[in-house]
Amino acid sequence: MRVQKFKLGRIIILLVVFLASVVGVSEAFVFTNPLGLYSTTIWDQWVYQAHHSTSELIVFYGEGDFDLLYFESLGTVSDDSVDSWAERSIRLYGEPGGLKSFQLETPLSKVDVAGQRGLGAAYTYEDERGTRLWECRIFVLLPEHQGFSIALSSDEPWVVDDPRLLDDILGYWRWLF
Amino acid sequence: MKIIRFHRWLGRSITVLLLFVLLSASVQAAALGERFERTLGGSAVPEILKQYGGEYILPIGQRMWVGEVFRRLAEVTERGDVEYTLTVLNSSELNAFALPGGYVFITRGLVSAIGRDEAKLAGVLGHEIAHIEKKHGVNAVLRQMGLAVLLEVGVMALDLASADLLRVASATLLQLISLGWGREAEYEADLVGQALAVNAGFDGVGAVTLLDDLFAMNSEDLPMKIFRTHPDTKNRRERLEKALASFWSSPVVVEDEDVVERLNVGRNSKQTRRNDPNGRYSVLVPEEGAGLHVFDLQTGQSRTWLQDVNVFDFAWSTQGEYIAVLVDEGSQGQLWIGDRWGGEKKSLSISGQTIIDMCWSPKGDQLAILVDGSEGRQVMVTYLHANILLPVGGEFTGTGSLWLDTGLYFVYEDKWYHTSAPKVLPVIVQNPVPQVLQRQRVLSPTVIKEGNTIRLTRPALTLP
Repeated sequence: MRVQKFKLGRIIILLVVFLASVVGVSEAFVFTNPLGLYSTTIWDQWVYQAHHSTSELIVFYGEGDFDLLYFESLGTVSDDSVDSWAERSIRLYGEPGGLKSFQLETPLSKVDVAGQRGLGAAYTYEDERGTRLWECRIFVLLPEHQGFSIALSSDEPWVVDDPRLLDDILGYWRWLF
Repeated sequence: MKIIRFHRWLGRSITVLLLFVLLSASVQAAALGERFERTLGGSAVPEILKQYGGEYILPIGQRMWVGEVFRRLAEVTERGDVEYTLTVLNSSELNAFALPGGYVFITRGLVSAIGRDEAKLAGVLGHEIAHIEKKHGVNAVLRQMGLAVLLEVGVMALDLASADLLRVASATLLQLISLGWGREAEYEADLVGQALAVNAGFDGVGAVTLLDDLFAMNSEDLPMKIFRTHPDTKNRRERLEKALASFWSSPVVVEDEDVVERLNVGRNSKQTRRNDPNGRYSVLVPEEGAGLHVFDLQTGQSRTWLQDVNVFDFAWSTQGEYIAVLVDEGSQGQLWIGDRWGGEKKSLSISGQTIIDMCWSPKGDQLAILVDGSEGRQVMVTYLHANILLPVGGEFTGTGSLWLDTGLYFVYEDKWYHTSAPKVLPVIVQNPVPQVLQRQRVLSPTVIKEGNTIRLTRPALTLP
């Protein structure tokens, strides 16, 4: 009986370890913006890029060669609403001088970013070397019409198909103002 | 008696009537003139677009940045009647020009050469706007057509827009664009454009450094039309450099006792500042011998910069990127500026004069220097990235200086004087959209070990 219980225990432990590795439970760290605007939790595989970041732009590189996560504070936006700002931005991305071979994959839809109403969309475009890139973009208009954006991009469609990373980032997002 | 009164009344009435007619005629003439200018300039636009490969749409961020620089310049123009528009042309040529009526053009080649230097962009766009402000184009066309007399009677008393004359004027305009509006017009546009840039919150030095860049790039294999259409570059540069000092405020004595006390304290503490702002180096001027002793607090090693030169003062820039050193070379004080690795960035000596004091601007891109010569002492300002020397002390001379956020202070006959440069404002895009970033390719350096030194092939950096 004791032997059976022991075996069962071992099986359960192995199962948990196996499931954890399959599901991909990640270690994460808390990132707080140096200006004290926001904080969130980011998976350990994502590395903060100090030399590409500024007080307005925070950049992380992921494991893949094209994996990129960045948060941008844009200053005052004069559009009336986040809807018109997001629509204008997406329109400009698709116009001449915007992104090459731009294609909107998922239209703008409502996103809640820690109590602030935002809009998110996914699109693809080609970089200078012709690599097709996927990007998820969230637009948020903070008080006093301060524009803010969260973007996640890669050369693989996982940024759109697999929302776990973005869900985690948004789930732990806290505004500090 | 009644007849005399009637005559007086009649005389006054006729005078008032004449004045009214003249006034309304001039107002009408001005309105017609504006319409004529716009029509004339507009008639040449299709040909310009054809010649220069059409309009080029810059990437979103750059387009907004260029547009914001142009908007700020147009906002400070004096002619309220002109609607200014900017078109980027799809040409690799380095060129910019303006047509009457508010049409300003710049090639993508010139935008690319300017990069993200708003002072240079404001310099070139200010110059082109100044041509329109001063009606150089329309005046040159009328002069060329032998209609100079119209200039003297107010130019635009005729509505030329509806006449066949417009066709001839348009053809003349296209001819003149490649030749320029004339030497004097170019000189005037330089100075008016520089003043526009300064009024719009840009550093007027941009017009000078842009000429330096173009002058350095000017070779026969470059299609530098900008030089064909513009007069002697050296002469223009001298005029622009000279004008820069005029934008500084006239020195005034500092009356506030508290400020004077703080300035005295600041001046004394300046003498003892010896560590670089990043805390890596401790620097000493040896009591005997020459050079500057640099002790690296990180590696514990020391070395001597400027070994064979007698050093008598030095100062780190605010960010610690550069060090300015006053050296005594051949009994003449000179200024030497090096980077934080000891490499020379710039050296400055003024013929027949000795540099006896210096201090950095708060941004670390300019230096105030005190020059002593046969004509007495002078307070001057030099730029880190440009060969420019501005006398900013007016008729005053100084014995010491401090440069704070509020301006440049110098001592003259035991009193502090204050002067300041015009305000330079950063370019903030009015209605931004989020930028789209891409990962930068990481170039791994090759590590080569040579004795006790590690050398990295890329970036070119040597670590002790």
